[in-house]
Amino acid sequence: MLKSDRSELDYFALLKKAKELPPPAGRRLKLALLGDVSTQHLVPLLRALLASNGVDSEVYEAGFDTVEVEALDPASGLYAFAPDVVVILQAIGKLKSSYYESTGDRSTFAQTRAGEIEEVWKAIRKRSGASIVQSNFVLPYERPFGNYGLEVPDTLHGLVSELNREIGLRARQNAGVLVNDVDYLAAWFGRRHFIDEKLWALSKSLCALELLPEVAQNIVDIALAAHGRAVKCVVLDLDNTLWGGVVGDDGLEGIELGDSDETGVFRAFQLYLRELGRRGILLAVCSKNDEAVARRVFQEHPGMVLREDDLAAFVANWEDKATNIRRIRDKLNIGLDTMVFLDDNPFERNLVRQMVPDVIVPELPEDPGLYVRAISEMNLFEVASHSALDEQRATLYREQEKRDEERSRFESLDDYLKSLETTARVARFEPRDLPRIAQLLQRSNQFNLTTRRHSEAECEAMMGDEAGCFPFSITVRDRFGDFGLINVVILRRADSALEIDTFVMSCRVLQRGVEQLAMNKVFEEARRFGCRRVLGRYIPTAKNGMVKDFYDRFGFRREAAPDGEGTSFALGVDEYLPRQVHIREVAAFPGREGG
Amino acid sequence: MTHEEIYQKLNGVFRQVFDAPGLVVGDATTAKDVEGWDSLAHVNLIVAVEKSFAVRFTTKEVKALANVGDIVRLIEKRAK
Repeated sequence: MLKSDRSELDYFALLKKAKELPPPAGRRLKLALLGDVSTQHLVPLLRALLASNGVDSEVYEAGFDTVEVEALDPASGLYAFAPDVVVILQAIGKLKSSYYESTGDRSTFAQTRAGEIEEVWKAIRKRSGASIVQSNFVLPYERPFGNYGLEVPDTLHGLVSELNREIGLRARQNAGVLVNDVDYLAAWFGRRHFIDEKLWALSKSLCALELLPEVAQNIVDIALAAHGRAVKCVVLDLDNTLWGGVVGDDGLEGIELGDSDETGVFRAFQLYLRELGRRGILLAVCSKNDEAVARRVFQEHPGMVLREDDLAAFVANWEDKATNIRRIRDKLNIGLDTMVFLDDNPFERNLVRQMVPDVIVPELPEDPGLYVRAISEMNLFEVASHSALDEQRATLYREQEKRDEERSRFESLDDYLKSLETTARVARFEPRDLPRIAQLLQRSNQFNLTTRRHSEAECEAMMGDEAGCFPFSITVRDRFGDFGLINVVILRRADSALEIDTFVMSCRVLQRGVEQLAMNKVFEEARRFGCRRVLGRYIPTAKNGMVKDFYDRFGFRREAAPDGEGTSFALGVDEYLPRQVHIREVAAFPGREGG
Repeated sequence: MTHEEIYQKLNGVFRQVFDAPGLVVGDATTAKDVEGWDSLAHVNLIVAVEKSFAVRFTTKEVKALANVGDIVRLIEKRAK
């Protein structure tokens, strides 16, 4: 992910940077490149850009034009490499030849080609848990019919459009497949710059060398999103960012917004931000203002698109913005590196960059009419999955505020927990839950004992392994609202012991008894499997310090870890005292949680 | 642009592409004489030369290049 603008995407500068990288060591992302284009030029770019994101990488290149062979042969170099991500790059060149050389009925051309591409995905997913990043095709420039070609069936242009649409549709139906929208890049930079016939002839290059870093960055964005990197929150300045003018000076009627904004740019910007909110990005306000004055704009100004209900946090005071951003971070319980800060003022942007360097601070142009473009060019909001829960996220935070108010009324924690009337559905993995389960495994950093990023396909495999595996999830609601699926535990049988491979929980439900409920379930399952001991493991990362004593608190004993990864724990099944929880278990929820 | 000026600039391009600050090339220099001048670097070199001299070579011209002298003659032909 880019941190401020696109200036780091210079081909020769990246090449130099790649040369200076140390060889990969320790934990690294393993990328495999397959394609009917040459991939050598891409390798240093990918490594340099991943390094800019703090990710060490190793890249495997399959031979030129061996996509199908590598995918279908279980003994291929691809599988020996054991990649985390398989990048498939296909250029228009080969597709074009096969179109031109075909005769007769071409109406099935796109479907047939899409079917072949899907077969490759299925072959890879059968043998590997890797995510697949599939390129689409750059629309060709040839127009044998001129503009009239749009009215003619089965032109090359029409069939490539159909194929691209088909790739998107089929990717949606195939877990773990993500589309690399190369056609978007070509269209954005211009096909006349992107397509380079000479480089194609000389070295089968996908595009002009100077635009190859853009392709590499796109792949890096997708690969990192597939491994849990995601922006969760956009922090917004108010004056001259959401509206023109300064509300404290100009007054509610004096600011440029709605009818008083002739250009309409602030309304357009707010519409875009609200759309981000609907897609699950939290919106927060961080402004140097009197809070009541600032809030009044949201409450009363007829030109406002964003209202208080769209915001997960609202901080308006006269303290510095770095402090206020940390305050928002604490309230929302998210990482600083998942926050984007938007402010028209270069001074504030630089202050935040210096004081809280993990926060992403895009350079914004002087003209507010170009804000959406500047943000879009950075591709900040790449994701690898999307669930209904995302869209309710701002609602979840508002429900939490109500709970916090309620809490202050109770004398004891127990009374408070009882009053919440929490119910939970504990269930072995089910197909309909898999996208959300995979998302939680990819994204959770803090309450995550081993940070094993099992993919959706791996989860699916565990779901089918009745004898060796008990993977379950917990879905929670209380009288204030739904939390959704917020806990995932994966248990594996290891002889006479049951091993907790993964224990992940959303930080939204801390101290509610959910982890106690889950641990009770772990020991119930251990008994059912006839196991004598339960084994736990804590693998420390930069972010999961909050659970370092997790197993101690349940009475586990620390053991020497034979493989040295983190700390091992064990507890006899008969030694465990089931914990009392104020959560009622239900087999299914009525209403929107389904079941 | 004189022959010498072309060489001065071209040496700069070679040093950047091959990351070799002291590199000096001449008419007779071939890929065998420069460390790292493989087919991959060749494409980088051609793109860098085209950009630096603001010229475009044809595919056929690039394929026919045998030594640095050929590159210089091409630049002279194109950059009039």
